[in-house]
Amino acid sequence: MLGLEGFGVFLAYVLCIASTLLCVVYGVARWNSDE
Amino acid sequence: MDPLFYLVVILYLVVTFYLGYLGWRHTRSAADYMVAGGRVNGFLVSLSYGATFISTSAIVGFGGAAAAYGMSMLWLAALNIFVGIFIAFAFLGKRIRTMGANLGAHTFPELMSRRFNSRFIHGYAALIIALVMPLYAAAVMIGGARFLEQVLKVEYTWALVVFAILVAVYVFFGGLRGVIYTDALQGAIMFAGMVILLVLTYVRLGGVIPAHTALSDLKDLVPAALAAKGHAGWTAMPLPGSELWWYVVSTLVLGVGIGVLAQPQLAVRFMALRSGREFGRGLVVGGIFILAMTGTVYVVGALSNVFFHRTAGKIALAMVTDPVTGTPNIDRIIPLYISQALPHWFVYIFMLTLLAAAMSTLSSQFHAIGTSVRDLYYLVLPGAPREQGMVAARAGVLLALAATLYLGFRLPVSIIALATSIFFGLCAASFLPALVAALYWPRATRGGVIAGIVSGSLAYGFMVFFVHQKEAVIFGVAQALLGKPYIASFPWNIIDPLVVALPASVVGLIAVSLVSRALPQEHLRECFRGIGGVGIPVRDG
Repeated sequence: MLGLEGFGVFLAYVLCIASTLLCVVYGVARWNSDE
Repeated sequence: MDPLFYLVVILYLVVTFYLGYLGWRHTRSAADYMVAGGRVNGFLVSLSYGATFISTSAIVGFGGAAAAYGMSMLWLAALNIFVGIFIAFAFLGKRIRTMGANLGAHTFPELMSRRFNSRFIHGYAALIIALVMPLYAAAVMIGGARFLEQVLKVEYTWALVVFAILVAVYVFFGGLRGVIYTDALQGAIMFAGMVILLVLTYVRLGGVIPAHTALSDLKDLVPAALAAKGHAGWTAMPLPGSELWWYVVSTLVLGVGIGVLAQPQLAVRFMALRSGREFGRGLVVGGIFILAMTGTVYVVGALSNVFFHRTAGKIALAMVTDPVTGTPNIDRIIPLYISQALPHWFVYIFMLTLLAAAMSTLSSQFHAIGTSVRDLYYLVLPGAPREQGMVAARAGVLLALAATLYLGFRLPVSIIALATSIFFGLCAASFLPALVAALYWPRATRGGVIAGIVSGSLAYGFMVFFVHQKEAVIFGVAQALLGKPYIASFPWNIIDPLVVALPASVVGLIAVSLVSRALPQEHLRECFRGIGGVGIPVRDG
């Protein structure tokens, strides 16, 4: 788990990156959308 | 100090003032001053949002906390990105912008009061901002002044005055446009500084997985006092139900992570966006920016233990513990790590990053306080001409400067740090359910929202004065009235006041709304014009 001992910390690490990807993907999909 | 660094700081200040000047040149009306005319693009707004969000104390203080408590604090970073950026931009921000435009609102208190036709909400929100935010601003200002004192070797008193005046000048003249332009520069510096910090740290410690593994291997070095509180190593969650677990989960994740949604100085950014199209762009920049800030802070803070253990044979806490008193000063961990672990040239970049972080947060605070004073001015003198709005807001910025300086000199640092967390908590407890109802629940009534705001504030006050150990002990109200420092036992004395206050606010808002008359349909149609998917309730009676 990326060298992280606890699953909770591993999950937080992954969720940080996943949340950012969500922002990027959602933002790009609505790049010119006014809805 | 390298003369080159002085040159860089001067250059940075010159560019900052030039951007403030650009803001001033384009500020001709009260709407320009309050919400940058509602014509700013998504990149600038999201950089400004992020730079305001992250202050020097968020970098130094939370970095130090991560060094002590470990990477479980990454939950806060994940929430900052998901709630503070994704939910804020994709769900709340768009509606704040549209509704603000529909109602001609230029400040957060004005938006809430026009949505619910309530002078009480207007005055209450403006008063909280005008009275409590100067304490938060004082905390940020002290952080900036300490930086100037240490780095430029100037006397602290002068550092405090000069730093506050520098920021107030470009807010006074440039309004929100000046704030956003300078924030964008400061945000770019912060982004570069923090990305370089993360990369250099992983490189210094041998790569991502080796660095994490090395940190995991240190778990036997957790101090006994922390282990007793539930610390299970720097790459593991605290033991479930332990004191530390409640601290990480309730204070950090709920209190700070969710509390950010109802911050007036952030909400106003959405009203500055020039169109709904800008939200997509803002999300991309905002998400990456906050990951680079908070993600870096917690990872680097925790990993500093590996560096100190390899070079000095001690964990980070031991490095900053006063040999006489035995008390650690966790605010010293990040600066110590930067100066010992990283190349000399980066020390300068990081100093500029901290200066930019302090200035970008303080400028928005001055602006929010100034515009709240303008709100109060119109509440007291409802007939005053609209053109006077900009003058009133500028006078408010000067008052903000004076109040912040006064507090910065008079109050002990412990109270100021506490006031910052109380400001976050009080904003969330009072305004978060009200804001969500304003944007998503047409059935919410004026009485319901006032009940939500009042019950949230009272519950928060009760928790802070009587239940939550940290604040109750300092304020001493429970001791004076009831003869004991706080009235609850574990875990209630540790759980963040927001965990109780937020549901209290939600219950008050919903219960009273359901038994009171809905707002007139025509008013609701006006509020929700251009906002789809909302059923306007028929007014009964």
